[in-house]
Amino acid sequence: MGAELPVVFDPKDYKSDLKPIWCPGCGDFGVLQAMYRALASVGRPPHEIAFVSGIGCSSRIPGYTTAYGFNSVHGRALPIAQGIKIANPDLLVLVAGGDGDGFSIGGGHLPHAIRRNLDLTYIVMDNQIYGLTKGQLSPTSPLHLKTVTSPHGAMEAPVNPLLYVLAYGAPFVAQGTPADMAGLAQIIEDAIRYPGFAFVNVQSPCVTFGQDDWQVKQHRAAMKTLESLGHNSTDLLSAMDKARSYGSELYTGILYKNPNPAPTYDAMVRERQQALTTGSPSPARILDGFLQK
Amino acid sequence: MSTKTRGIDFSKLSLKDALDLAILVEEEAEERYVELAHQMEIHRTEEAAAFFRFMAINEKKHGSELSERRKKLFGDAPREVRRTMIFDIEAPDYDEARAQMSPHEALTVAMSSEKKAYEFFVAALPHLSDPEVRSLFEELRQEEIHHQELVAKELAKVPATKDALGDAFEDEPLAL
Repeated sequence: MGAELPVVFDPKDYKSDLKPIWCPGCGDFGVLQAMYRALASVGRPPHEIAFVSGIGCSSRIPGYTTAYGFNSVHGRALPIAQGIKIANPDLLVLVAGGDGDGFSIGGGHLPHAIRRNLDLTYIVMDNQIYGLTKGQLSPTSPLHLKTVTSPHGAMEAPVNPLLYVLAYGAPFVAQGTPADMAGLAQIIEDAIRYPGFAFVNVQSPCVTFGQDDWQVKQHRAAMKTLESLGHNSTDLLSAMDKARSYGSELYTGILYKNPNPAPTYDAMVRERQQALTTGSPSPARILDGFLQK
Repeated sequence: MSTKTRGIDFSKLSLKDALDLAILVEEEAEERYVELAHQMEIHRTEEAAAFFRFMAINEKKHGSELSERRKKLFGDAPREVRRTMIFDIEAPDYDEARAQMSPHEALTVAMSSEKKAYEFFVAALPHLSDPEVRSLFEELRQEEIHHQELVAKELAKVPATKDALGDAFEDEPLAL
């Protein structure tokens, strides 16, 4: 028999039969397409991937892929994804959701997921609004934004997700936009390949309830790739400096990538399990001990 | 051009790779038009949906023609160029679609996609070194001009309002 040919995956291999029901023009279509490309480039078969999401328009994403999917509870995608990764560390675990799901309702989970440093890729489709529930203020809505819950303009300053995750110690932080699908696919691929918690903020405009002057077309004109600016992605302070411009500049690419990845929680759990089971009595012996008493 | 492809060295592109690239460009456009048609159908925008389905058929036809040509020249030789290397070369941009878009707006989407493809082939030409590849790209560039003319003709027939397209796209696909 000849040598086995390497399996090459096509983006279509990750596309399910379920058709997206997002509004035409939604930024999430481009994000989904970039994810298919990234997954095909990484080359893990769909049955080795678990995709977990919370609630919201973007959280429908697992259903549009052929990977194992869990469209879970609002704000709880990260705890579920961490459980999956610890139970089955061989799975490639992706987490997706929106800014409301990730920074408000699930905001308390994010710092702990980051400090545990499980090998997960968290992709947030940040549209600065609650779109599914018809346009309320979200944690990343800009100051003075008029919405159904802020008819006279938002009075709260927005969360800065990039600065937030860098400050919590995320070892991989990037930002993309569907206005540059090739760039976004590359960012997602790099995030997946990074051995640790990888955070990708995607500015994915809501075409129905979002800001008219901040749609994909405007992203094309405004975006600046960090690569073209000569940004050093291993420099945390420089990353923080760039992150401060969230809301005024659209920087795309890898803001920060820790060049010395720390051991992941899932790897440490596996090590500890092995250490505790090596040389310890088998369950049958423990049971025998009880029975003899 | 750099944002449209990844990992393709145009200076070293062989005729086989160039044909594969052209086939993938058509496949990507066909799939995107099918996706847009579906988006329109679920948002009750039937006329735009019909037009996007019509465009998908055309892209499929172009892709099949190129595939036959590739098969004649190179048989079943494996593909080196892959879908992960191309990004929206002729496929309409997702953000151009809108619920309740008019037939005129749908045609405008197709027009900008044809222009985009034309610009891609024009931008690639100076980087090509193989004369056969250059000739293929020149041919593809010319085809895009022809497609633009056909779309422009259709655009002229359709008012820039929400009016119906009529029967224009219910017959056999035009020879775009």
